[in-house]
Amino acid sequence: MILTATVYIFGGLAALATLLMIFQRDPVKAAMLMLAALLSTAGLYLALSAQLLAALQIILYAGAIMTLFIVALTATPAAWRDKPARGGFTKTLGLAAAAIILTELLKVSAVLKTVIFSPKFTETGTLDLARALFGRFAFQFELLSLVILAGIVAAVALTSKRSAA
Amino acid sequence: MSAYSLAAVAFVLFSLAAAGFLACGSLVRMLMFLELMLNAANIALVALGPETVSQAYAVMLFAIAAAEAGVGLALIIMLASVFKTLEAKSIRELKG
Repeated sequence: MILTATVYIFGGLAALATLLMIFQRDPVKAAMLMLAALLSTAGLYLALSAQLLAALQIILYAGAIMTLFIVALTATPAAWRDKPARGGFTKTLGLAAAAIILTELLKVSAVLKTVIFSPKFTETGTLDLARALFGRFAFQFELLSLVILAGIVAAVALTSKRSAA
Repeated sequence: MSAYSLAAVAFVLFSLAAAGFLACGSLVRMLMFLELMLNAANIALVALGPETVSQAYAVMLFAIAAAEAGVGLALIIMLASVFKTLEAKSIRELKG
């Protein structure tokens, strides 16, 4: 019962933060709202007994990626000048498109109504996850290092091109 | 609680992030909403998949999200220095 309530509370908080983000004009305030949504997601993972994911969510998303966004915002003065217009046709169109996406997703997943999910708090998940990552999924997990390496090379090449020219 | 309710939480988050992505014209904001869409997909994966396997894929998605944010922000910084704006509407040239 408590876990079910936790899922709804953190889910609701994340949804509220995302909704407020759409209407926030200041980019740094929008980034802070994104941080709130990411931290709420970490709470959601805890309620789903995914402790390692909750820790990674805080370290990676709320820590590293958010820092990257703040640094990018401070490094690009153009981001401060571009204040989005209040209201407007584009916003309404975006919300309408999202409403259609939501309706379709809910319609497609209607079969899940019969599947009962009873959240239980377990502490053994992390050990099983480590065994899966370094056993069954070891190759895929190691391939990720190549993806990250490619990302680093691309980021360095993109940002250093201007200063070299 | 049915699995449908859990899926609905993830779908609502995804749709709101998609709305933000479609409605905002600024590139930094678009990337932020893209990250939130990936985050919502991760929630759906963890909530609906088999416990260990879905969590393993979620860990891999974290790494992909980090790489994507790095490359995306590098692109945005470069575009900002060339075009002096981050409004998607004002960026019309692809020539480097």
